[in-house]
Amino acid sequence: MSNFKKVSALLIAIMMIISLAACSGSNNGANKGTKNEGGKNEGKGSTNQATDNKGADTSKFVKISHVVLGDKPTNGQFEKVLAEVNKIMKEKINAELEWKWVEWADWQTKYNLLLASGEPIDLINIGTDWLDTWGNAQRGAFMNLNDLLPEYAPQTWNSIPEEDWAESRYNGDIVLIPENDYTQWVNHGFFYRGDWAKEAGITAPIQDWEGIGKYLQYVKDNKEGVVPWDAVASTSIWGGYASSYTDELELPISTGYLPVYTTKSFDEKFTVVSPIFEDTFLRFANQMKEWADKGYWREDVLNNKNDNRASLRAGLSGMDQHHTQTFGGLRVQMDKDQPGSELQMFPFARTGGNNLTELSITHGGTSVGAHSKNPERALMAYDLIRNDKQIYQLISYGLEGVQYEIKDGKRVQPAGYDEVKDSFSANFWGGRVDKFEIPSITTWDQLEETLYAEYDKIKKPYPYGQFVFDKTPVEAELTAITQVTGELGPAITYGKVSDPAKAVEQFRSKLKTAGYDKVLAELQRQMDAYKKLIEG
Amino acid sequence: MEKTEESRSIRTDVSGMIVKGFGYLFISLFALCCLLPFLLVLGTSFTSESSIKKHGFNIWPREFSTFAYKIVFENPDLIIGSYIVTLGITIVGTVVGLFIVAMTGYALQRPDFGYRNSISFFIYFTTLFSGGLVPFYLLMTQYLSLRDNYLAVLLPGLLSPFLIIMMKSFVRSIPHAITESAKIDGAGDFTIFLKLILPMTTPALATIGLFIALGYWNEWYNSMLFLSPDMKYRPLQLFLYKVVTSAEYVRNSAAASNVELRDVPLESMKMATAVVATGPVIFFYPFVQRYFIKGITVGAVKG
Repeated sequence: MSNFKKVSALLIAIMMIISLAACSGSNNGANKGTKNEGGKNEGKGSTNQATDNKGADTSKFVKISHVVLGDKPTNGQFEKVLAEVNKIMKEKINAELEWKWVEWADWQTKYNLLLASGEPIDLINIGTDWLDTWGNAQRGAFMNLNDLLPEYAPQTWNSIPEEDWAESRYNGDIVLIPENDYTQWVNHGFFYRGDWAKEAGITAPIQDWEGIGKYLQYVKDNKEGVVPWDAVASTSIWGGYASSYTDELELPISTGYLPVYTTKSFDEKFTVVSPIFEDTFLRFANQMKEWADKGYWREDVLNNKNDNRASLRAGLSGMDQHHTQTFGGLRVQMDKDQPGSELQMFPFARTGGNNLTELSITHGGTSVGAHSKNPERALMAYDLIRNDKQIYQLISYGLEGVQYEIKDGKRVQPAGYDEVKDSFSANFWGGRVDKFEIPSITTWDQLEETLYAEYDKIKKPYPYGQFVFDKTPVEAELTAITQVTGELGPAITYGKVSDPAKAVEQFRSKLKTAGYDKVLAELQRQMDAYKKLIEG
Repeated sequence: MEKTEESRSIRTDVSGMIVKGFGYLFISLFALCCLLPFLLVLGTSFTSESSIKKHGFNIWPREFSTFAYKIVFENPDLIIGSYIVTLGITIVGTVVGLFIVAMTGYALQRPDFGYRNSISFFIYFTTLFSGGLVPFYLLMTQYLSLRDNYLAVLLPGLLSPFLIIMMKSFVRSIPHAITESAKIDGAGDFTIFLKLILPMTTPALATIGLFIALGYWNEWYNSMLFLSPDMKYRPLQLFLYKVVTSAEYVRNSAAASNVELRDVPLESMKMATAVVATGPVIFFYPFVQRYFIKGITVGAVKG
């Protein structure tokens, strides 16, 4: 047994050494960081001395890496376009851009690892609502741009208003450049066929779910072989119903299958409530039960793995559900696939009209990596991408005459364009601006005068851009709630319960058991703190 | 021993027949259960997407189409390159890995090797605790600088604790006396290992080799982490995985508004991908199957 003792002693010693090494290792890392920053400060100091409003000293040629999400095109077109961009870049700021791709295969892991690894990244695509930007900022992944921006990206700095910069700050420091001048609407709604609606006697745009029900009934009765709505139960429409029939605002907090928490209204945007515990939810459950019984979707909706959009395009379904941006493209496709179908959209927020919020301006954006070796040049390059029309259009669309031609002010594909050989994409979503965008023929050209115009009348600024919900105190409860919504949500949403009232009761009590109240209290507490932050 | 002249089958009485019949029936059914999903995959991969939408998956394609394969093989040089990379990594990794695992397993089994228990424990310990993804990533990229290097895929798969333990338990069945007598005859450790031990452990080597080879063949995660798209040829599984994810992405996303959508036959493409990935393995398997079975039953009485 003495042998065993020796071995265990040795093991303990080794483990201690390892843990020591680990600690000092992390210290090293930290030291490295500070050292780097020291270096940066020196750099800044030296450039500050040589200030002549021309920004940095561009005598040294540098390469600027730019991290984007997307698959690297393999047909060589991207390299050609980037070479054109780099010609201008070299001329103007003596630098070259280098694209680094984070592919869609397991992008979340790779993106966060890249930021955690401390590799020198110059520019990186960010998004507060889907790329964990605040979390990465908290871990010190991004450089503080307070002093660098006015100096090295003056056009960008001056074009973005102060309230938008306010939403780009973490602990008072600007850590990202928002994509605040680009119109995107990602509010959801139903897409229905205009031709069938006309046949059904629905001539005005549908205003509410009753109208949708009427339309579906018509399709059910008159279109042989068509599923009125080939719904897939993996996405819930409860959030849509809530935005139609309440004034409540959605929160950027995931509770799994369907949203549980909202805020009361735009005027009371800091009061957390839950439409699940209001009559709205019961009405929803009843209506969905009615729709299911009338056969508006498949009997086996809960296991349906069909692609709703494909069946709509094939003329096998009368309805689809997604957001406005999708609609813009789908409308054009449908005009080709089902001529005369005149696809229409009923945005959920239309019914109430009081809770349509714009997309967060930090849904897209660009940050500078904390370990960037040339942050000044990186910002100068960004300033050009965003504000130089020629560079912007090269990066967004490729080469005129190869990737696109302009006909009547719209982008069309040139004759002889071959998708495989000529297609181009740079996946730049970190600073698009409306003023340089050229409308494409593949996007419905009446989008602006119809839906956008309607939205402009009722839109509200997005209030939760800087709200970062810290889940740690209620992690377990949130997981439990997510389980409950996933377990009972689909059946209620798609009317596959025998008694909606009972199912709703059961759902509510299970949420309570899962810790609904605790999460609500914690959310409200953080919301109050956020209110202080916003209103000062 | 002389064989006596005797009919080799058991007396053909009714009960024996019944037992045999049941056995065959059961095994055929079981084999069918294994085969059907694969036929479904194969059939679906040749079915047109619209037919899948209407009728679901079929073993026999209702509407024959090779469109899915067209997309998977859109760039033939890429897929051939990926095959070559995967083959290269698999062959090199299997040979080197097999050698190291065999050596480790043998050495840890030698009673005259003093530290064998503590080292075994070390190896075993790694199966219980690991540093996690971020340290692993940092080690590979920062300290070893293996980004965009095929070694990043090769190295982590060379030594697997599980296989070492397996090898150890196999070597245990070889009497230590063999090693000792060879030593007395003046053989060195390497000679003993190469000339005596390796030939005696062929079933285990085949099994372990197959495990390693399958591991490398199916490897995609490390390639995904460490090989960036700047490399033209990456392992096959990652290439195929990418084909599917990017197709899904292209179809589901409207965020990239300047990407022109094209029709992607997603369902049949997934199946075509599976066929392309598993095809060669299926052809290869019958040749090593007997070793596989032999190796798995290590420790059982061998005739």
